[in-house]
Amino acid sequence: MRRSPAFEAFRYAAILLACAITLVPILWMVSMAFKPIAEWQATGADLTWFPKEPTLDNFRYIFGESGSNLIVALDRTAAKPILSSLLSASLGTLIAMAAGTSAAYGLSRFGAGGNLPLALIQLRLFPPMAVMIPVMMMWSFLNLMDTWWGLALIYGIVTLPFAFWLMKTFFDDMPREIEEAALVEGCSRGRVFWRITLPMMRAPLASAALFVFILNWSDYLIALLLTTREWVTIPVYMASLSSSMTGQLYGAKAALGLIAAVPPVFLGIMIQRHLVRGLTFGALKQ
Amino acid sequence: MTSAEISKDMPARPAAREADEGARLGLRLTLPAQLLVLFISVFPLLMQLYISLTDWSPLSGLGWPRAYELWNGFANYVDVAGDGRLWSALGRTALVMVVCVPVEFLLGLALATLFADSFPGKRVFYSILIMPMMVVPAVAGYMFYMLFQSGGPVNDILSSLLGMPVTVAWLSDPMLAMLAVMVADIWQWTPLMFLILLAGLVGVPEDQMKAATLLGASPWQKFRTIVLPRMKTIIIIALAIRVIECFKIFDTLFIMTGGGPGVATETISVYIYKITTQDLIWGYVAAIALVILLVLSVACVWAIKRMARKERAA
Repeated sequence: MRRSPAFEAFRYAAILLACAITLVPILWMVSMAFKPIAEWQATGADLTWFPKEPTLDNFRYIFGESGSNLIVALDRTAAKPILSSLLSASLGTLIAMAAGTSAAYGLSRFGAGGNLPLALIQLRLFPPMAVMIPVMMMWSFLNLMDTWWGLALIYGIVTLPFAFWLMKTFFDDMPREIEEAALVEGCSRGRVFWRITLPMMRAPLASAALFVFILNWSDYLIALLLTTREWVTIPVYMASLSSSMTGQLYGAKAALGLIAAVPPVFLGIMIQRHLVRGLTFGALKQ
Repeated sequence: MTSAEISKDMPARPAAREADEGARLGLRLTLPAQLLVLFISVFPLLMQLYISLTDWSPLSGLGWPRAYELWNGFANYVDVAGDGRLWSALGRTALVMVVCVPVEFLLGLALATLFADSFPGKRVFYSILIMPMMVVPAVAGYMFYMLFQSGGPVNDILSSLLGMPVTVAWLSDPMLAMLAVMVADIWQWTPLMFLILLAGLVGVPEDQMKAATLLGASPWQKFRTIVLPRMKTIIIIALAIRVIECFKIFDTLFIMTGGGPGVATETISVYIYKITTQDLIWGYVAAIALVILLVLSVACVWAIKRMARKERAA
C-alpha cells in the first residue's frame, strides 16, 4: 500500500518516540551498572546519562572483591544466587516440558486427559500468592524449603500450563502422514512418539523450552517465600543488597540486574516467532 | 488416509486393538501432568480449608495437623467480610487494572497499526519494542525505583522540559507512588498488547481494505467495519490475559514501593504477602485465599461457559 510522505514521517516519529521510552529505563540501569560509587547518587547538574568514569567495580564487588572502601564487603557473593536461578529454572523447565509435552501429545492424538486442559487454565488464572501458604507447609514437610530442587518442582508445576498448551498447538499443526506411515510399518504407538514425533519436533520443543525457561527465570514471589538463605535466587538476592548500614547499593544492584536481564531478553528475541503463541496459550499463532 | 482406514487393510493390527493401544498410551502420557495438578490442587486446598477454620499460625507451637485444637469455626470468614484493609487492597488492584489495561491496549493498538505494513527498519524497531516484557519483572521494578528517585532521571527530564528544577519524591507520595507503579506496568506490558494485536492485524485481508478505500471509507470506518470484527477474539484474549495478570500484580510493585508509602500501593497480592510473612496469621490468610480462589473459579467457569454459548450461537 502506498503511503503519503507525511504518514511515513509521522510513523517514524511515533516509533522513535516509543523506542526511546522503551530504552530509557534499560539504558539507565546499564549505565548505572558501570558507574563508580561516587556517581551512584549524583543529582541535578552532576546527573549524567553515561558514566563519566566507567568501571567494572560493581561487577567485581558483587562477586566478592570490595573495590571501594566506602562500602563494606558482602557476606555472600552473587555467584550462588546465579547458580540457584540457573539450576531451579532449568530443572523446572525440564519438569514442565516432560509432563507438558507428553500430556499434550496424549490430548492431541488420542483425546486423553479429560479435565486437564481446563484445570491447567485455572492453574494459570489463580494468583500464586493464594496457594503459597499450603505450598510452604508442604515444602517444609517434604524438606524442600530453601533448596533449588524444591523451587524447581513448583516452577515445573506453575509453568506446566504454558508447556502443555504450546506443545499441544505444535502437535496439532504437525502433519500426521509420517506417523501413520510408521504405524503401517508396524511401529507401536509409543515407539512412533519416541522415535519419529519427538525428533521431528526438535525445533518447536526447543522454542517451548526456552519460553518456559524465561518464565521460570523471571520469578520473584515464589523464591521470596520458598528460599531464605542458602539457595535464594537472583531477584531475592538483589533485593537484599541494601541495608541500613550500606544504604542502597545502586551500582551493585544495577550490575546484578543487568546479569539477570540479559539471558531472557536475548532468548526472547531468539524465539520471537513463537512469543505470541506462547503468551496466548496457543490461541494465536503469528 | 486416516489411521483407521489404514488399519482396515492391515489384518495384523485390527482397528479395535489399535484404538485400545492409543487410549492406554494417551492415559499414560497424560498421567504425569494429571498427578502434578492433583498434587498442587488437592492437598493445598484441603490443607487450606482445614487451617482456615482455625487460629493456627506457624508461631502457635503446634504442628499444623493439630490445628484442630485452635478450632474457631467460621470466625476467619466472618473477619474476611469486615476486613477493610483487604477491601481497599482489592480496590487498589481494581484501580491498577482499569487504568493500566485500557492504556496498554490503546497504546499497543496504535503501535500495531503503525507496524501493519512493511517499512525499512521494521524488524529492528520491533525487537526493541518487545524488549520490556522480557525483562525480569523484579529487575524492571528496580529500574523504575531508580528512575523515580527524587534526584533521579525522571525529575531530571521533567526539569529540562519545564525549565525549572523538579524534585518530586515520587515513591513517598501516596498518589504519585501509585502513578509510578502504573507507569512501570504500562512500560512493561504494552509490548505484550502490541505483539498480540499486531499478530491479529496482519491477518486482515488487504484486498478488502483496498476495496473499502476505493469506496471512500474513512480510516475509522475501515477500522470499525473490517478490522474490528476480525480481531474481536484476539482483542478479548489480549484483554483477558492482561486483566488476569494485573490481578496478580506483585513483583514490580513490591520492589518499587513495598506496598507503601503506608499502604498506598498495597494490592491484593502484596496484602496477602504481608500478613503471611509479617503477621503470620496463617489461618486467616488461608480463609482469604480460599475466598479469592472460589470467586475466581466461579468467574472463570462463567466466562468459559458464556464464550462457549456465544460460539454456538454464532
